[in-house]
Amino acid sequence: MGTTTQHTIALDGIGPVQVSVTDHGSGQPFLLLHGGAGLQSVTGFAEKFAAAHDVRVLTPTHPGFGGTDRPEALTTVSDLAALYGALLDQLDLADVTVIGNSMGGWITAEIALLKSPRVSGIVLIDAVGIEVPGHPVADFFSLTMDQVFELTFHDPAPFRFDPTTLPPAAQAVAAGNRAALAVYAGTAMSDPTLAARLGTLEIPTLVLWGESDRIADTDYGRAYAAAIPMARFQVLPDTGHSPQLETPDQVSHAIWDSADTDFAPFSR
Amino acid sequence: MPKTAVTRVTHSCHLIEIGGRTFLTDPWFSTRPGYYQGEPIALGIPDLPRLDGVLISHEHYDHCDLDAFAAYRDRSVPLFVAETVVETARRHGFTNVTALRPWEEAEVGGVTITATPAKHGVYEVTFVLRAGSDAVYFAGDTMLIPELAEIPKRLGHISLALLPTNGLHIRPANNMQVVMNADEAAELTAILRPELAVPHHYAFTKGFLGDRLITRSDKNPLRFQDASRDLAPDTSVRIVEPGTRVEL
Repeated sequence: MGTTTQHTIALDGIGPVQVSVTDHGSGQPFLLLHGGAGLQSVTGFAEKFAAAHDVRVLTPTHPGFGGTDRPEALTTVSDLAALYGALLDQLDLADVTVIGNSMGGWITAEIALLKSPRVSGIVLIDAVGIEVPGHPVADFFSLTMDQVFELTFHDPAPFRFDPTTLPPAAQAVAAGNRAALAVYAGTAMSDPTLAARLGTLEIPTLVLWGESDRIADTDYGRAYAAAIPMARFQVLPDTGHSPQLETPDQVSHAIWDSADTDFAPFSR
Repeated sequence: MPKTAVTRVTHSCHLIEIGGRTFLTDPWFSTRPGYYQGEPIALGIPDLPRLDGVLISHEHYDHCDLDAFAAYRDRSVPLFVAETVVETARRHGFTNVTALRPWEEAEVGGVTITATPAKHGVYEVTFVLRAGSDAVYFAGDTMLIPELAEIPKRLGHISLALLPTNGLHIRPANNMQVVMNADEAAELTAILRPELAVPHHYAFTKGFLGDRLITRSDKNPLRFQDASRDLAPDTSVRIVEPGTRVEL
């Protein structure tokens, strides 16, 4: 079980922002950023990764998700990147690896573009945010929940549930998550300027992609890796859009043992 | 005669005192994503003594941090550099920049600076500083190449050698080795036969992920000490923490 702390971060042009951060373990620091599925989509992996490798994993809740408040002026993925860049400053962390899934991966890319020396590497897991001709990100907001499960998971059965059976409080949180996702990511879930900006990065980058992801397909993932100089790309079999939920051991192995990975078969 | 001495600042950045003059090598005073000293930076730029010269082996950021070093109080300080560094040095406002090719020499206040060969991922030169009977060899982050055996033949006895030891490999470039390793540094020590050898360029890290994805290196300087004991028993090897001044 992690420890959750409320941090107040002063952001230029936005003012003070309250952010809830859960801290798992201690040692080498990792910042793990959730996507539209909310904090619970990364909590299990954070606990497992911290315990298995004796490291520290910080998992913030993006303001507006999980029933938290979002300041009106905090509206973009870049704003969230600035928030977490400032959080790392406030915590005085060094050699931080930032890991993000889906929209969390987009935030991770924007954090890398801040070029803070505190951030030594990034891991993008089925990230969204770039535009790839012919490979659009699925329009989450036009999908039924059943369709979302189908497109998200290699095998949806263990994850499927009927959202109408949730208690009212949980339904309110889910609605809040959806609204926050729409504010930050928009319906296209992409920024047409992002891919070109990623070309300026010099940061060690690992791009992991679920082979069965139909929210953003593997060619989209290859294009993401191709946009970042020296990025290494690895496909995860039997895995969809949320690898840390569906095949957490594969994700843990891909990150921790990446020195032993022969990337040649995954080369673009 | 003033003592010959070296103070490691960090990584391959040293203050070398020889012939009563003070030189700085391969300035590195900041960090960037994926580039970390892995050890302290013992001196900030405002704390540097008055320098008689600066030696720069090649343009890589961890050896040629001119964005930071441009804050040094006197940009007319003489810079002796690989020719690939000239343009960037001038662009950073340094007005006295001299390119030295291997075996070319210059003189500053009675100290002779000779560029010597090197091989790395990019063009590089190394340097010998000589004043009287004392000579310091600064090896930047070169590979061990046969041309380095020419140094004692052409330039005479070396008293102090500053050598890289991490055997850096670049994983995405077919694991290409770009820096000599501890055994090779010991081999070079046996060729140069200095009284004192000091390893450098071993603590460097690209961070958790970079050390896994981009580089592979040996961060343990004791391996050089062990290898030198066998190959160059007459040389004293000292592992020097940043900020410690070592006299010859």
